[in-house]
Amino acid sequence: MRKLIDKILLVVLFFAFMISLYLVFMWVPQIRASNAAEQIAQKIFYYHVPSAWVGFLAFFVVFVASVGYLATRKRQFELVAVASAEIGVLFITLVLITGPIWAKPVWGIWWTWDARLTSSLILWLIYIAYLMLRRYLPDGSKRANLSAVVGIIGFIDVPIVYYSIRWWETQHPKAVMASSEGSLAGEMFFTFMFTLATFTLLYAYFMRQRYQLLTLEDTVNKQFKEMEIL
Amino acid sequence: MRVALAILKKDLQMEFRSKDSILAMWIFSLLIFVIFNFTFEVSRLVMLEIAPGLLWVAFIFSGMFGLNHSFSVEKENGNLRSMALMPVDGGQIYLGKFLSVTLIMLLFEALIFPIFVIFYDLQLSLQMFLLAPVIFAGTIGFTSLGTILSAVAVHTRNQQILLSLLLWPLVSPIIIWSVTLTGMILGGEIPPTFTSLLIRVGAFDVIFFTISYLLFDFILED
Repeated sequence: MRKLIDKILLVVLFFAFMISLYLVFMWVPQIRASNAAEQIAQKIFYYHVPSAWVGFLAFFVVFVASVGYLATRKRQFELVAVASAEIGVLFITLVLITGPIWAKPVWGIWWTWDARLTSSLILWLIYIAYLMLRRYLPDGSKRANLSAVVGIIGFIDVPIVYYSIRWWETQHPKAVMASSEGSLAGEMFFTFMFTLATFTLLYAYFMRQRYQLLTLEDTVNKQFKEMEIL
Repeated sequence: MRVALAILKKDLQMEFRSKDSILAMWIFSLLIFVIFNFTFEVSRLVMLEIAPGLLWVAFIFSGMFGLNHSFSVEKENGNLRSMALMPVDGGQIYLGKFLSVTLIMLLFEALIFPIFVIFYDLQLSLQMFLLAPVIFAGTIGFTSLGTILSAVAVHTRNQQILLSLLLWPLVSPIIIWSVTLTGMILGGEIPPTFTSLLIRVGAFDVIFFTISYLLFDFILED
């Protein structure tokens, strides 16, 4: 049953990505821009923003799972938190890579110390530290406790970091969905929502895979321990 | 509260006998000033602009000694386990450690500040007294998170580097505001936003302290 769900997810994901490629590069209208590079660069928006969304979602899951672990002491929560943190770091890494690729032709620079850029980088650093902490600790309840505490503090810190850094003049394009002055055209909105859904599905797939791998590791380790006792 | 005060008393006694942390922090800050002087040869005008940042770099880098020392001492002597076994709330132990680390760091800051003034030829004025609440608030924010993360990092092999990796990104809001506030004071003119900014740092302090206080129980557990 589990295998079947995985297979279905994979097939759905394959087609979703093919469709999203078509939507982004063929279907959606080009933006009006001063030069061709800027027009092409805009396409990265459909991958940059969904990656950021998945990153935040993943870190929220780390937070919830960490609270869940401290409340129940169930190993499952710990594994969900680790899996989600790893995937979150992966997607924020994508954000940090795709951002500069867009910024170079449009802003003329790879990087600027603007609120969103800086807070994304700090967010990334927080969860890198979380994963490094786990690497340096031996497996056991101590590690689970300590990483859960860091998972909770890290997530509570995210809005504080963002709020404090926003204080500097921001250069990042405003969130187009929320602002009243300009909103995405119909086709662009549809394409964006489609890639967003695709990326969220990808997150779900990665989570299932990573979680299963982690439980498998647990089982193997347990069997090794039993063999040692004999 | 009694337990917290007992830990505070013990830590301060140890510190005043050995002077391990304070001396290391003080010398290290001095080194930062010296190295800085070699690496950036800048005019006095630029120097005044970067002085607030330099002061906080010295505080933060040196503060790591105090934080690392705070729990590595406990671990070496096997006290960490005894603390976990004590029939008191973990928050009490956190409070004691937090108070001792904060006091030692504030003392170090008071001792290094005159050197800073002399090296960078700052004009003394009554306004300088405003630095006291800024440094106080910034230090509390730094040590409140630093204390709990030091207790986390002490269980790893790479304690020193890991504490920096964990603490610096998390405490960045405090650093940003503290440097801004310090810059306002050293710049000469106090803008009207000063008080509201200072209150914000205080609010972050309260948030960081409360989270750490509540979560410390889980750190001690095995």
